[in-house]
Amino acid sequence: MFPELKIGQFTARVPIIQGGMGVGISMSGLAAATANEGGIGVISSVGLGLLEKMDRKNYRKENLVCLRKEIRKAKAMSDGVIGLNVMVAVSDYDDIVKAAIEEEIDILFLGAGLPLKMPEGISLEDLESIKTKIVPIVSSARAANLIFHSWEKRFNHIPDAVVVEGPKAGGHLGFKVEQISDPQYALEKLIPEVIKVIEPFKQRYGKDIPVIAAGGIYTGEDVYKFLEMGASGVQMGTRFVATDECDADIKFKEQFVNCREEDIGIIKSPVGLPGRAIINKFLTDVTSGIKKPFSCPWKCLKTCKMKQSLYCIADALMKAKIGDLTNGFSFAGVNAYRIKQIVSVKELMDSLQNEFEEAVSKLQGRKIANVIN
Amino acid sequence: MDIKAKVIDLIVEELGVEIGEVTLEASFIEDLGADSLDTVELIMKFEEEFDIDIADEDAEGLVTVGKAIEYLEKQLS
Repeated sequence: MFPELKIGQFTARVPIIQGGMGVGISMSGLAAATANEGGIGVISSVGLGLLEKMDRKNYRKENLVCLRKEIRKAKAMSDGVIGLNVMVAVSDYDDIVKAAIEEEIDILFLGAGLPLKMPEGISLEDLESIKTKIVPIVSSARAANLIFHSWEKRFNHIPDAVVVEGPKAGGHLGFKVEQISDPQYALEKLIPEVIKVIEPFKQRYGKDIPVIAAGGIYTGEDVYKFLEMGASGVQMGTRFVATDECDADIKFKEQFVNCREEDIGIIKSPVGLPGRAIINKFLTDVTSGIKKPFSCPWKCLKTCKMKQSLYCIADALMKAKIGDLTNGFSFAGVNAYRIKQIVSVKELMDSLQNEFEEAVSKLQGRKIANVIN
Repeated sequence: MDIKAKVIDLIVEELGVEIGEVTLEASFIEDLGADSLDTVELIMKFEEEFDIDIADEDAEGLVTVGKAIEYLEKQLS
């Protein structure tokens, strides 16, 4: 049996978090399906406003309207644990976090930047009284330490868990290109390091801070491996793309079924970070310098260099979500090529559970054999 | 307190650079090899050492050694 994953007052009976995937890949449909199967379902907050037919001048306002709608939809479809992923790098970060807390989202996962402070208007008292639990996503022990240290200093309060995303993840990566294949930065190295830096904070505050492993986790045996290493749960993205309930177009999902290992590569995103994606013509075009004209409705990323960029990443990801892979592309984890079919979230969770149990009994068999010998 | 000397000490210690490299014009990222986490750590060090709060908007402007010294001297005067 899977052990439970507890984050604050929330208990997931399966220690698997479905990672937030934007634009529009994990919305209320996938999040609710995952939560209903006992995991933690996560809505991606990025660019939700782009998916609605609307006045693009009102993008900022529209984003929040869509966000609230999506959270309410997920909650109506599931009594399980629902989270929201927010990129610290987006211009409307403060507004999104505040709206999500107002909507009483269970867990906020904050990534793509360091959440060192809380949005204007959220005080220490708020942090202690709100129902929402806050979980940063980091790619190093250093970043984890920095966030916990900063929170301790500013709020005398620490985050409720931490997701450690290694270099095998899909999408934007918190590593330099040369670090991605360097074993020194492997997730297997990062997990014990993060557990170590979190330990003194756990002691000081007398609360448990689950460490969650992410990036390249594919089978139930992988889940087992990271739990054995001291992680309390895992976050997985790629496998949830190839599910019936995933909120992307079927063409988007089929790309995951059809791609080969050599199709998955690292790109330099206009966001200023490397990212892992399925390389298609759109990406080879922009890499060779071909401009894909775009108009920016509103500068959605704080650091976007719109004038130098050859394409708009928000637009390209949104196009991919709706199945237009001529004008877009999809992010994917290192193991996306292993996907052979689209299944239901229930089938996925069941197979992970079976593989997990096989791994447990294999290890127990080994232990017994050791005793006998 | 000699703010300038203290700031230079902190930079040498945090970034592991030679004192000779820490000129007023030196950019933390371009000249002193700092990454994005280093710059955040450095700002936090300044806050602790001088017991002040540096707003994000202000922190973004502190890109060179000289700018950091100038800002801290002004805040602490």
